[in-house]
Amino acid sequence: MTTEGDQQKAAAAAESKKEKKKPEGLVIPPKKPKLSKAERRALQEQQRAAKAAAKQQPEPPKGAADPQNEPGKQNATKNDAGSAGKDDAARDAVQDKSDQKTVSLFSHLPPYRDPKSVVETGPHLWPKGVSLPSTTFPLHPAVIELGYQYAKGEIRGGNARCRAMLAAFHQVIGDFEPPTNNGGLTDMRHQIDQWILKPSFQYWTASCRPHSVTMGNAFTFLKTAVASLERDMTRDDMVEMIQETIDAYIRERIDLAKQAIAQQPALQLSTTSTTTTNNNNPQVFLTYGKSEAIAAIFRNMAASDQHSSSSFRVIIVDSRPLLEGKDLLLELRASGIECSYVLLNALTYVMRDVTKVYLGASALMSDGGVLGRVGTACVALSAHMHHIPVLVCCESYKISNRVQLESITGNELGDPSQVAMTTNASSSDDDDNNNNNGALKDWLETDNLRLLNLLYDLTPSEFVSGIVTELGIIPPTSVAVLLREMNPQN
Amino acid sequence: MTASSIPDLGSNSLSTSDPAAVRSWLSKHHPKQLALLDKFEIELRLGRLSSTTKAGPDGVIAAVGATSTSDRLLVTRRTVGLLKHIIGATRWKNGAQLLVLLRGLGRELHEVGGFREPVIENIVRRVMAAVREEAAGEPDGKATDTGRLSLQSILWALPQHVKSPSNRSLSRTDSHQRQSSIASEADLESTNEFPPAFYVNRPELKQTVMEAIQEIVTELEDVYGNIEDQATNHIHAGEVILTYGKSKTIERFLIAAAEKKRTFQVVVCEDSPSFGGHEMAKSLAKAGIDTIVIHDSAIFAVMARVNKVLLSAHAVLANGGLVASSGSNMVALGAYNNAVPVVVITGMFKLCPMFPHEGQDTLNDLVSPSKVMDITEIKDDLLSSVELINPVHDYVKPEHVSLYVTNVGSFQPSYIYRLLAEYYHTDDWKSFE
Repeated sequence: MTTEGDQQKAAAAAESKKEKKKPEGLVIPPKKPKLSKAERRALQEQQRAAKAAAKQQPEPPKGAADPQNEPGKQNATKNDAGSAGKDDAARDAVQDKSDQKTVSLFSHLPPYRDPKSVVETGPHLWPKGVSLPSTTFPLHPAVIELGYQYAKGEIRGGNARCRAMLAAFHQVIGDFEPPTNNGGLTDMRHQIDQWILKPSFQYWTASCRPHSVTMGNAFTFLKTAVASLERDMTRDDMVEMIQETIDAYIRERIDLAKQAIAQQPALQLSTTSTTTTNNNNPQVFLTYGKSEAIAAIFRNMAASDQHSSSSFRVIIVDSRPLLEGKDLLLELRASGIECSYVLLNALTYVMRDVTKVYLGASALMSDGGVLGRVGTACVALSAHMHHIPVLVCCESYKISNRVQLESITGNELGDPSQVAMTTNASSSDDDDNNNNNGALKDWLETDNLRLLNLLYDLTPSEFVSGIVTELGIIPPTSVAVLLREMNPQN
Repeated sequence: MTASSIPDLGSNSLSTSDPAAVRSWLSKHHPKQLALLDKFEIELRLGRLSSTTKAGPDGVIAAVGATSTSDRLLVTRRTVGLLKHIIGATRWKNGAQLLVLLRGLGRELHEVGGFREPVIENIVRRVMAAVREEAAGEPDGKATDTGRLSLQSILWALPQHVKSPSNRSLSRTDSHQRQSSIASEADLESTNEFPPAFYVNRPELKQTVMEAIQEIVTELEDVYGNIEDQATNHIHAGEVILTYGKSKTIERFLIAAAEKKRTFQVVVCEDSPSFGGHEMAKSLAKAGIDTIVIHDSAIFAVMARVNKVLLSAHAVLANGGLVASSGSNMVALGAYNNAVPVVVITGMFKLCPMFPHEGQDTLNDLVSPSKVMDITEIKDDLLSSVELINPVHDYVKPEHVSLYVTNVGSFQPSYIYRLLAEYYHTDDWKSFE
């Protein structure tokens, strides 16, 4: 969440940036969408879209597909901003290079987009291949800012991304006023759907970063909720209703679900059987990366621990490039939990002491497979081969109705230059190549060499002993049952 | 062990394998050789063996062989060079004396760092086996007691099982074999460590031993060539091959396949935190091979598209298991679960006559965790009590290895034990600890 001041600053920054390139200020995002302007803009956008559609076919694919060189504005762009043209050329060159650097095995996945290009492309300039919605209502600055945060990876993790999305919708819908000139869309439910929900989601997904299953599920839920509102409610009632729904979703499906998982009776350090939890033979839990649910479980264990803090310890396995385990390490240490921290290479070495493995998840496939942060499958596999129980902890809103057999069909590509880094320090957000002295620092110039940064992997259900949700602990084969129970209408 | 039972064969000869005794013996009779040994030990401790026996000033050594610790073949060659020099220049009269000296050297080298480099002990054992073979032969060169298949050799292999009476009867029945022996009956009774033939003073033994060592040297020189010759048998067109970290053997194996016009893709795992994979990927790409670098965490994800996994070895164990750089076990498990064959490419000088009784601790080493978490990150008290672990090696079970491709051919893990008998004598199996 950001303060209002920040947003205004961001909006102002975006505005000034735009102004340099497009003095006419055709599509400058307003600080807050105001009614009168919005209406005029909608009209303009419609005209522009129609024009673009008319001229779209004969355009040569390279330059003109770039939305910045739209035919109507071409002269203006060229005249006032020679430098911008140069930037375009440079970006095209980079684009070409990165085309060479895509890995053929993974060419079906959308290529990684540099967050800088998200800023340069701007909020209204839809990326290649995305058709303009018929009515373009300008995107709210909060949406754009969040998109940038998504692209940059500042907000990551299934829960955080979903929460941020819902919070953004909460704010945007609060700011929404139905325009008087509504272009034929009189129903406010449709207006919200067509002008806010759909374009925002599409912007995030297509321009910033592919959406997570959590975002997809929450978005579907929100759309359904909006559509099922009464038609003749007043604007204020409707906004209030939607905001309440959003808050309830965050509270119940994410926050309370997390607490319920942490308090699952089966996960508590057992007070009855003193054989396993005495101080001579402490339980050793292993976890990978960072997960809110896992952190909550361990904190809860530490809080309810009657013996002392030494009746269990946690081994945190981490891996590059994100090194999210460090955050978890700090969090658990702050709760006084005894921790070990290793990288993935030491996994087999530490596995012999482990009594139970807890893993987080990004999504649950309906066949029981677990889509998690890349590396999760390695840990689950290793534990499975050592006959150590693997518990996957995730809130039930992460269940997806999709099915995936292995990690490659559906995945996401991260920034390949992160592979070339050789520092294990937490990723710095400044220039990527600043502190890279590894053997691969000139990988872009090396022929035959490509780097692959997968973000997720799929843990087959055989490796999973149980899935801990707020509804209880279920075997992975029962995920489909849970999905059906939760959505009886499907 | 049985060192005390060895008779004093004259004031000039070494009587025990105790490293200290070896050193004092060398310093008394062969100061030059001791200096050479010291130099080798210092370089070994520093972890930078230079590629030549005659190293320049320290700065040059560091520049030439900074990465040599990962080059086990170089370590092996240097050790053979050292042994050859010492054997050639020192005074010993018979096989028994030489074996005592070699065992002493083995213990000495083990102490100064040999436990990190099992190849050193391996090659000492190998030379010892060669000495045993030569010493057991008749003076005219015809081998009668090569220690392989005869019942007698089996008995001698475990001398503690041979009781004195049977020893006596044995010596009576086989007396024709030892007619040239000048060893007295009393000598035979008091010494039970080596077969009697080893105590025969034979001036020509030195030459035959040196020839045998030269054979080993030649074999070591041909290691890469022999492995490269098999490359096309294992890599076919269009394959996706996954390899982990850096290995010179695998690098040359892949490049050899590429030079024979095989087109394939190589996925290199970076091997964090040492990042050997980065260097590996770079040299493969330079050789024109289509190379993809991935994070270690993506191993399981990518495994679904991989046809073959190539692993390098730190040591090959007697049960067919493998000690390789840490993280290799995860690769092997991933491959096993995806039914991808795991092929280990290694020279047989890495074959160790030991079993992995210590599991993951077998031949393992824990090194500084500074690469796991930088010291500057441990500012606050919260992190100061966190246990950080950075092991160097992983043990991979034989059932997760499909094939060993070596300089002497390709073998299943279950066949490895058989090669042990070819390389080492069972009496030398025990550790130099």
